[in-house]
Amino acid sequence: MNPDIAQRILSQATLDASGPFLALALGVLVLVFLELLPALAALRQIVFLGSLAAAAWAATRTLFGPEIAAFEGTYVANSTTSWWALLFVASALIAWIFGRRYYRDEARFEGEHDILLLTAASGMVLMAGSRDLLVFFVGLETLSVPLYALSGFRRARRESVEAGLKYFVLGAFAAAIYLMGAALLYAGTGTIALAGFQERSELLETPLALTGLALIAASLFFKISVFPFHLWVPDVYQGAPSPVTTFMATGTKAAAFAFLLPLSFALPPESAGLVAAIALITMAAGNLGALVQTDMKRLLAYSGVAHAGTMLLALAGMHADPESGGASQAVLFYMAAYTFTAGGAFGLLTMLETQGGRPVTIDGLRGLARQRPGVAAALALFMLSLGGIPATGGFLGKYLVFSVAVRADMIAAAVVGVLISVVALGYYLRIIVAMYMQPEDATRPVPAESRPLSSAMALACAAMVLVLGVLPGWFLANVR
Amino acid sequence: MTLENCILLATLLFAIGVYGLLTRRQAVAMLLCVELMLNASNLVFVAFARHAGGPGQILAMFALAITVAEVAVGLAIVLLLYRRHGHTAVDAASEARE
Repeated sequence: MNPDIAQRILSQATLDASGPFLALALGVLVLVFLELLPALAALRQIVFLGSLAAAAWAATRTLFGPEIAAFEGTYVANSTTSWWALLFVASALIAWIFGRRYYRDEARFEGEHDILLLTAASGMVLMAGSRDLLVFFVGLETLSVPLYALSGFRRARRESVEAGLKYFVLGAFAAAIYLMGAALLYAGTGTIALAGFQERSELLETPLALTGLALIAASLFFKISVFPFHLWVPDVYQGAPSPVTTFMATGTKAAAFAFLLPLSFALPPESAGLVAAIALITMAAGNLGALVQTDMKRLLAYSGVAHAGTMLLALAGMHADPESGGASQAVLFYMAAYTFTAGGAFGLLTMLETQGGRPVTIDGLRGLARQRPGVAAALALFMLSLGGIPATGGFLGKYLVFSVAVRADMIAAAVVGVLISVVALGYYLRIIVAMYMQPEDATRPVPAESRPLSSAMALACAAMVLVLGVLPGWFLANVR
Repeated sequence: MTLENCILLATLLFAIGVYGLLTRRQAVAMLLCVELMLNASNLVFVAFARHAGGPGQILAMFALAITVAEVAVGLAIVLLLYRRHGHTAVDAASEARE
């Protein structure tokens, strides 16, 4: 290799910028190596957690510094991408801890499970930092391909394998649409770098480039599960193993949003109304769908669709928002609150599902407050946060998003959005009522089995939800 | 072949892929349709790289490598479903629905 190029690529700045990704990727390689040596199986957990810790440490190094561009500007690390990386690490950790002892028939594949989870997390980090359509595509597939396998991980369960196939076919469809969009954007502008689009913004108005942008937006809308690309969500979330659902619901959405935010400058300003309409329809579709569900995972899947719609509203207001960075901050904060809330809720469901040996329904939660007061209290807190009740992180996230819409002069959209969110309280409260006010089903007691790790994780999630809701000052001052 | 013809061909391939994906229910047939769509975009990359320069050819190489990895995992899932559960129809997957 030309020493000049080598020096340019392998500089300290490059290492700093790509630190979180390198830590996760190295962890994957070591884990693959450990799979070859059964004698060293005990090291797996240490390597997994060490790799996550190293990624988090590397992310904090660029948390408050200036933006570092690496690899010819195709990948950057700044405060925002570092916060995203921390969020992905948290998401992977939540999914991993709740996934301990979840797999019974597949326990011997636990090593592969960890490898796939870590690979997907590294893909997320890559997506958030990419400033180039190709690097983003690599990240997207690094995230998606392990998730296809993870969705079908319970090989003996028909619904799990079918969820994997469904997710794969639709994910591959979305990837193909993305690639066509990237090809047309390249054809229209001659570049695939976001900075290049900014330089040649007049070329973005050409029909070729506009079609490309629309295709890329459609494929990203699929990943964040926005109307009309949300129909796969309930089936896949329900069929996939619960810890994997936890990871999909929180991480995938965050990673797609992390790239949509820097990309959205390329969207023409006239599209704001369309995006706002899609956001509101998504909120309505998600909340109305959730109202009639009885299975908890399906209910939370529809609720996740509604939350994606809410965040999209901030994106719609981004152009007209006089406060630059306001939308980015709102989405990041909303996603952080959602990660801990939904992560904790899905995690508790995972725990109840493992202990009860069957999927959790709303009826199955009756009387939980008497049998398991701690679990019921935490689940109630998560439901209140999802519903946007004050003093929780969920409330503040909604407040920030709707303020963006109001500042951007989209007051009608904000009002409709708030009203739709109120509908959502209908089903969140139904769960709380079932847990606290309805008699338990005496024939189906939930056996209380001690699971200290999962309980500690649920407690940590609950604490984060409260901290984000009650003491958000520090985060709001530092998250940009 | 002129650039216009290349784009026409790519659009046609892409459309055939989308149509097939929306009408077929067999996983393998759907996979083939996705491949058609992917190769349509590769055609656009390569055609424009020849026409206007830029990183198009490298993009096509990356896209090929990545989609091969994707299809490998996908075929594994299809095979697993076929061996264990005796079908490969994607629509039957909604039996999870109430």
